[in-house]
Amino acid sequence: MRLGVALALAGCLALPLAAQSVRGRLEGRIPSAAIPAVDSLIQLAAQQGLPTEPLVQKALEGGAKQVAAARIVAAVQLSLGQLRDARDLLVRAGDKPPVLPAELTTVAWALRRGLPTPVIERVVAALGRPPRAAAMHAVADLVAHQFDPDSAADLIIEAVQQGVLRERLLDVSTAALHQVQRGHTQAEALAIVRRQLPNLPAPSKPTRGNVAGARRPATPAP
Amino acid sequence: MNAIDPRMHQALDGELDWDAVPAELRRTVARLTAAAELLAAPPPGLVPSVERRVMAEIRRPAPSRARLLMRWFVTPRAIIFRVRPAWSLAFAVVAAAVTLFTVGDQGPELAEHEGIAQFVGRFPEAQSVHVVGTFNDWRPGSIALKDQDHDGVWRATVVLPAGTYEYMFVVDGERWVPDHLAERLVADDFGRENSIVIVRPARR
Repeated sequence: MRLGVALALAGCLALPLAAQSVRGRLEGRIPSAAIPAVDSLIQLAAQQGLPTEPLVQKALEGGAKQVAAARIVAAVQLSLGQLRDARDLLVRAGDKPPVLPAELTTVAWALRRGLPTPVIERVVAALGRPPRAAAMHAVADLVAHQFDPDSAADLIIEAVQQGVLRERLLDVSTAALHQVQRGHTQAEALAIVRRQLPNLPAPSKPTRGNVAGARRPATPAP
Repeated sequence: MNAIDPRMHQALDGELDWDAVPAELRRTVARLTAAAELLAAPPPGLVPSVERRVMAEIRRPAPSRARLLMRWFVTPRAIIFRVRPAWSLAFAVVAAAVTLFTVGDQGPELAEHEGIAQFVGRFPEAQSVHVVGTFNDWRPGSIALKDQDHDGVWRATVVLPAGTYEYMFVVDGERWVPDHLAERLVADDFGRENSIVIVRPARR
């Protein structure tokens, strides 16, 4: 009982604190006229169990690009709608709420990259458990290069069924794109890669020279 | 000590004929002659005498320089180090400095879920190029690209947590340009396109 009250109090305190920290990130970075509207959209997302970081990033992006306040608010509102659509899609495909924030942003990205909703649902359902980001990007990469969406999804789903690790699914789409670069049609490329599964060319690793010159960004990444 | 009869000396030295040797000395002279012959004979097994062995060694040709060098290399030797503590400390300091300098040159240590993102753009007329995106809160100026060869190709290599990021280049602090080399583009909802980079963990 006491624990429940404590958790409820902590939750009541956490939301205003989170809102304050978001306001702190936005102040001075976006037009002050946009802050109240953006802030309320972010709070709405938090109340609905949606990730707020994509909305903060969208607002910061608009501010950095010196976009007018109204357009920033509109873009944040659009992002909120995409996150809602993504959640609905995931629930339809079989995910139980609350849906993981990473999966929501993945599906929102897939929608923005132009993947048809039925294809996303198929991939989500076929993969079952998260993470699905690599699979979704692999299908989206193929579709962006004029591959048939259903055939692209078939290839990625088959790769998973044949035991290809999820973090290597981008290598599957890359292998298909290489076949197109060698002069094959999209259909031929898919057939060639399908025959090679589950074997894939090794992904390129960062060279020692690259790592030597690498540095971390000054601002912590989200 | 008994003196030897001088006639026996003469007989052994061949100065006295056997017939002239008195009968009482003949037996002794005969024994001494046989003993002398035995000592003069070479020993069985033909072992060379010390003299012959020494002479053979002297006559042997001198070994070549290569053989001498090889012998020098394979012969075990004792090496003695005499160390001054002050010089030892100085050597340790120099060794530590060289090690630290070398390690620092190898770049940052990557964590398990970190990867490398390379940003490359061709901007021949640019004075400055920065990359901004969701990895640095779209904060212009935080990650600068460099044109080290002055060939108009600007580069930056950045360590990021594995994940998907949207970004753009900012040229000369005011011109926003998508990465034309990026394989993935997405509408930015402000009328332009962002590039997408997927950072995969370097340790797999």
